[in-house]
Amino acid sequence: MRRSPAFEAFRYGAILLACAITLVPILWMVSMAFKPIAEWQATGADLTWFPKEPTLDNFRYIFGESGSNLIVALDRTAAKPILSSLLSASLGTLIAMAAGTSAAYGLSRFGAGGNLPLALIQLRLFPPMAVMIPVMMMWSFLNLMDTWWGLALIYGIVTLPFAFWLMKTFFDDMPREIEEAALVEGCSRGRVFWRITLPMMRAPLASASLFVFILNWSDYLIALLLTTREWVTIPVYMASLSSSMTGQLYGAKAALGLIAAVPPVVLGIMIQRHLVRGLTFGALKQ
Amino acid sequence: MTTAEIRKDMPTRPAAREADEGARLGLRLTLPAQLLVLFISVFPLLMQLYISLTDWSPLSGLGWPHAHEMWNGFANYVDVAGDGRLWSALGRTALVMAVCVPVEFLLGLALATLFADSFPGKRVFYSILIMPMMVVPAVAGYMFYMLFQSGGPVNDILSSLLGMPVTVAWLSDPMLAMLAVMVADIWQWTPLMFLILLAGLVGVPEDQMKAATLLGASPWQKFRTIVLPRMKTIIIIALAIRVIECFKIFDTLFIMTGGGPGVATETISVYIYKITTQDLIWGYVAAIALVILLVLSVACVWAMKRMARKGQPA
Amino acid sequence: MTAIRLENLVKRFGGFTALKTMDLSIGDGEFMALLGPSGCGKSTTMNMIAGMEEPSEGRILFGDRDMAGVAMGKRGVGFVFQNYAIFTHMTVRQNLDYGLRMARRSKAEIARRTAAIADLLQLGDLLDRPALGLSVNILQRVAIGRSAMMEPAIFLLDEPLSNVDAAFRAVMRTELKHIQREFRQTMVYVTHDQLEAMTMADRIAVMDHGVLQQVGTPLEVYNNPANVFVARFIGAPGMNLLPGVPVEGAEGLRIDLGALGRSVVLDAPLAAAARRAKGSVQFGFRPEQVELVSAGAGLGMTVGFVERIGARTIVHLERDGITAKAVFDNDTRVAVGDLVHLAPQPGALRLFDAESGAALRGI
Repeated sequence: MRRSPAFEAFRYGAILLACAITLVPILWMVSMAFKPIAEWQATGADLTWFPKEPTLDNFRYIFGESGSNLIVALDRTAAKPILSSLLSASLGTLIAMAAGTSAAYGLSRFGAGGNLPLALIQLRLFPPMAVMIPVMMMWSFLNLMDTWWGLALIYGIVTLPFAFWLMKTFFDDMPREIEEAALVEGCSRGRVFWRITLPMMRAPLASASLFVFILNWSDYLIALLLTTREWVTIPVYMASLSSSMTGQLYGAKAALGLIAAVPPVVLGIMIQRHLVRGLTFGALKQ
Repeated sequence: MTTAEIRKDMPTRPAAREADEGARLGLRLTLPAQLLVLFISVFPLLMQLYISLTDWSPLSGLGWPHAHEMWNGFANYVDVAGDGRLWSALGRTALVMAVCVPVEFLLGLALATLFADSFPGKRVFYSILIMPMMVVPAVAGYMFYMLFQSGGPVNDILSSLLGMPVTVAWLSDPMLAMLAVMVADIWQWTPLMFLILLAGLVGVPEDQMKAATLLGASPWQKFRTIVLPRMKTIIIIALAIRVIECFKIFDTLFIMTGGGPGVATETISVYIYKITTQDLIWGYVAAIALVILLVLSVACVWAMKRMARKGQPA
Repeated sequence: MTAIRLENLVKRFGGFTALKTMDLSIGDGEFMALLGPSGCGKSTTMNMIAGMEEPSEGRILFGDRDMAGVAMGKRGVGFVFQNYAIFTHMTVRQNLDYGLRMARRSKAEIARRTAAIADLLQLGDLLDRPALGLSVNILQRVAIGRSAMMEPAIFLLDEPLSNVDAAFRAVMRTELKHIQREFRQTMVYVTHDQLEAMTMADRIAVMDHGVLQQVGTPLEVYNNPANVFVARFIGAPGMNLLPGVPVEGAEGLRIDLGALGRSVVLDAPLAAAARRAKGSVQFGFRPEQVELVSAGAGLGMTVGFVERIGARTIVHLERDGITAKAVFDNDTRVAVGDLVHLAPQPGALRLFDAESGAALRGI
């Protein structure tokens, strides 16, 4: 549809404004991540949008090197938290996808587990804080506290609804003729699932997995409660960074924040086609 | 042969066996998920029911199975009703929801209408605009913490806009901190509304829009009489999702303000977090949790019934 | 109540030219059919008249007004889409009175006009039913009624009957014609069905591949097609076209049709036309206008297939790779494999230049 030039101008103006508002916080953090200590607390006229002397010191710092005599080198670097985030999010995704995909197939093709849709939505409905005490007790009892695999288990449970709903809509959309053809040939249903259906679902599985991974990686509250020292994840570690010398370690935290934020953003843009489906539990497809 | 005769001759077992096999496989497939759900619901529910009737705290030195030694009946529930701080926290949560969700909705809708037809660069702009909702909320909290520093960019921008120096201490002022928290939420979640509403918007058949134009309808009239009615379901879904998530708000807010200054930005999740980790009155927390669980369950069931009555799939 | 004039209309989509230099005049109150196969440019033309597309070149005039720059909603045209574009989330009544509601007319006027249209299109009982799920026959009438409510000077219909079932199509054809006469609107009707065009239109504009082939009354395009395309497209089945070469003889000019034999001597006007041909010609006659004659007096062909379709019998003929059809009444006895001889009726012959396809007219 052609629009009047006035409308086009307005449209671009509005969109550019929205993009600017969108990017300002992100760019500020990027900028901070590359600023040396001297520029962290600049105010007034000294406040610059871009580092006057960009440096990688902040990144070096969070991995253990102190480039300045103003702050003491960290004894606990960011390496382990990054590893923890990676491991817990990955295993959590695996758990959620394994359980969710199987259950979704079971419901889609056999009508099994009819209670799951409602139960899983209710799982997402309640504030996590309302169940964290029992979870802490259980995890403590099972020796899962402060471990990345303990985190992974709770992550798997908490993102199971998304995995389930996403895969269910994908399975529902998939025509049954191919499976039925294989069945007529004499394949058992189990083999059909493993050898035929799943390979066909490679792309949706990948997208769903990335979606769930982003959710797991982005968690803060659960890690805050279930990890204390050994296996804290990036967000928890970030909050704990401080120095008595310079107050808040703005640059270092910004560098860390950048490391934490980049993967989900990149992955999210890669799977943007499926975001609507995932976020609305399959009610809408893009 | 008649159909009946043919059917009698056909072996019935393979079909039945197949159905059986299917049911068994279905059971096996859904079992892991069922177990996980059970795991996270049965024990927590029972445990919380139990300790909510006691005055138990991990500080008491007793293991939680012995909580019954600190029995206090429904005292915790009575306290919940009278807990001023709790109700204030709920009020603040409601305030955040009441402001943020409509703003996010309107902004998202406005953006969606701008993206309804194609134009050069659409893909790129779209990718940029959806970025905020993919930023780790805790990191977003830190980003806005930095932005709202008294010497920070927000004041800097305001200074240039207003032509005079602005050195407001956002996060130290109760009302401004609340405002800052809302701004952060709106920044992060408007893209979600935008995403969902755009998907709904494109679902409106183009032919009907053309027909309406030919009948003399103005853009606003078309929006009101055709676009919005057809988007009703999607709008409800988007609002429901956002309202639910907004109720749970924690990460961004907590890192920005810690619930402060004082309790100025203490929402329900923050409040529960604090009394869980600082005051450690877990019996009481369990009572709160159960009340919330109960209210939300009832609301959920009511909503589902209402949708089923309207003939819409859950 | 308005005449339409298309001047030098061209429409390009990127590198593809959908409409090539079209000139057409549609009279005030005339029913004009735009007829042609898919992709001929008829819908594109109509979209430009409605204002949904802008011409790449040329002008569109309603009466004396140049429509360039006049927006879609302001042209005062009624438009019926091929798939009706009914507002499925509204009732029938809300569909019908949509235009008047948007124009903020008085409730009384809206009610009066709705009742009148509903009466005319027999929608009275259905007014308060939701439009969703109604049969296509009803939806079609609602679509027409919705546009008619605005009493547009010009009514545009884009293949409105293609989704309607055959039985109902005949009914709708009469109804549409009736509406047009009643409101005396200028109606432009796009269709690929030549029968529809022939029965309903005052004049037909035959189009192919973006080029206007011929404009004329149904009888004109039937009797005097301007080229081979029109000859074949109009009529069911279309005109037979047999390749031949004009041959001068003692008695006059005949057309040599190869294995089929020779035609009769052409009368003076036709002969003159044939002489103007640059080489071979296409020898044309309508399947309905032949007679069976004895051997030696006509064109010999073998019967390949006989279609008995109730009222008539269509015989498919073949000779040496050349095919033709003949339409007879049911008394005629022919069997597959028979060798028959056909003679076109006097006055039925048409000649076309084999190279250009244009009709060769005798003057």
